[in-house]
Amino acid sequence: MNFIVAIQTGMREIGSHKIRSALSMLGIILGVSSLISTMALTRGMEEGTRTFMQQLGGLELVRVVDKEPSAELFEFAVLSPGRTLRDAEAIQANAPLISHVSPELILKTTVSLENGGDPERRSVTGVIPGYFVIGMHAIDAGRFLTDLDVVRGSRCVVLGSTVAAELWPAVPATGLIGRRVLIHGSPFEVVGVLDRYEREEDKRARAEGRKVSSRRWDPFRSKNQAVLIPFATMFHEFLSGMFPEDSMHSIKLDAMPVRIGDLTRFPAALEQVRAVLQNTHRGVDDFDLETREDWFDRVESSVRAARLSGGLISAISLVVGAIGIMNIMLASISERVREIGIRLAIGARPSDIFLQILVESVLVSLIGGLLGIGASFGLVEVLKSISPTENVPIISAGGVFFSVAFALGTGLLSGIYPALKASRLDPITALRYE
Amino acid sequence: MSLISLQGVTKVYRVGEQEIRALDGIDLRIEEGEFVSIIGPSGSGKSTLMHLLGCLDTPTTGRMEICGRELSGAGSSELARMRNREIGFVFQSFNLLSRLDVLANIELPLIYSGLPTNERKERARKVAGEVGLGDRLANRPSQLSGGQCQRVAIARALVNGPRLVFGDEPTGNLDSATGLRILDIFEELNAAGKTVILVTHDPAIAARTRRIIEICDGRITKETLR
Repeated sequence: MNFIVAIQTGMREIGSHKIRSALSMLGIILGVSSLISTMALTRGMEEGTRTFMQQLGGLELVRVVDKEPSAELFEFAVLSPGRTLRDAEAIQANAPLISHVSPELILKTTVSLENGGDPERRSVTGVIPGYFVIGMHAIDAGRFLTDLDVVRGSRCVVLGSTVAAELWPAVPATGLIGRRVLIHGSPFEVVGVLDRYEREEDKRARAEGRKVSSRRWDPFRSKNQAVLIPFATMFHEFLSGMFPEDSMHSIKLDAMPVRIGDLTRFPAALEQVRAVLQNTHRGVDDFDLETREDWFDRVESSVRAARLSGGLISAISLVVGAIGIMNIMLASISERVREIGIRLAIGARPSDIFLQILVESVLVSLIGGLLGIGASFGLVEVLKSISPTENVPIISAGGVFFSVAFALGTGLLSGIYPALKASRLDPITALRYE
Repeated sequence: MSLISLQGVTKVYRVGEQEIRALDGIDLRIEEGEFVSIIGPSGSGKSTLMHLLGCLDTPTTGRMEICGRELSGAGSSELARMRNREIGFVFQSFNLLSRLDVLANIELPLIYSGLPTNERKERARKVAGEVGLGDRLANRPSQLSGGQCQRVAIARALVNGPRLVFGDEPTGNLDSATGLRILDIFEELNAAGKTVILVTHDPAIAARTRRIIEICDGRITKETLR
């Protein structure tokens, strides 16, 4: 008996017991579709998290933060100037693996309209152009701050979308360029309005006219609340008067994130930053580099855990499906003992019988697997519409392939025992079987 | 050389502690082209003998040669090959596959000899025509009369061109008129050169053959040539 005949025979057998075959396929259908869907879900989660992390600056973003110097250096701590603009310039000049540095000065002060209105306390940040790259900002209208703004200390401001909307509720972003706001009482000209950053889910909700829930933590809140002025302007306008001994280069920064140009050289880049800062801080270890690796690792591992548990549950349902197939194949064999006896009597070898039963079992699982793929596409459509996050499930070719291979393996494994049992029947006993 | 040659063949079954000697020292030669009947009461060992001759089983001791092949210790695949190529069976209860139509039933042995589809169909059709079933090819066995079913079984037994055809009580399930017609077919087959062996308990049927072998308690008790 060759393979094609075995397949034809198997198909006829499946076709002549439609309900029985459908029931035994059901386990495989459920197993495959849930396996594919789980993989699609976790893939979506992964994708969503990755995009999200990218929007927050990605792995490339490293924060230079203050830290208590170690005990043995404690008495020398005063020698260190701390994080200053000098650090930023030194990193820019001497750490080629760092693509951008963003020294930031933050001031909580009032921002209001020129012609009155309630002044509201906001966080105003003095930045250099590198800030926009590091923060992955995009402009909605106007322009970013430029080097020229910083050098000249010009009184211009770039507003986050929420700030702009709160100041001028009805005016579109493009209409705001050239208008003035009072920051700490001084007039500033609006030169740019940033994009509105929001989660995919909120964006979709807004597009569909649904209300965006404000109760949840919004990771983009601070980006949308930004009020950005040139670094030099910040210093000269608002900070130079407080401590006369401060210069723009010696004033302590509130934040100093850096961006690593090439992620493949991550450790080397960190080493460069550390070396530069060792120097500018005169050997005092009063700084630390805060990477997002830990955070990313945590996210990745939770995605992995989700994938594992989902995969496990689907695998279990596939095993249940396999047991179902085996059960039904065994039942169908004891129903067909006489047929097997006849086939043996007219010259079927035991291996022919083995092949026939095995092929039948594999066919059941293969058809089940293909139907399962179809079902999974439907299931994923449903999941898409109710998916509570921006993590839209994505069906991958790899996932489909893996699931079908799994189903095939299931059919093969569950068919071996019944096939063996059938092929070991004695022709005489089988022929006499009633 | 004989088509079938048995020397000192025994077949012993074990049922629990008990040993049952179904065949006890059989010496038998059957030449190509003979028309033989094996007759005996039930439990005499005639079915066991037919199973051995039909390559469905191997003897416990003794030598058995069929179609020039020593089969005393043959494996299941070799026996299957013999059944497929050299032997055709016609059973009392027809033993057709009810889910297959007449043509598919007849071509079944050819599937196991690995013939391509076209040739299978062609040969099955030809043999079906020879037993007078040319217009029933698409019917299921359940739509046929007993005599027609037995013709399908005969066609199936012949489709591979075997040298040896067995009939195991081939008329047992048929009315006497139909049974006679089936026996006619066997006679014609023998006339055309096939070696035909009928197993029966009915002396009237045995009387149609040229050589009658009587079996009792696992031994050949009498041979009659007509």
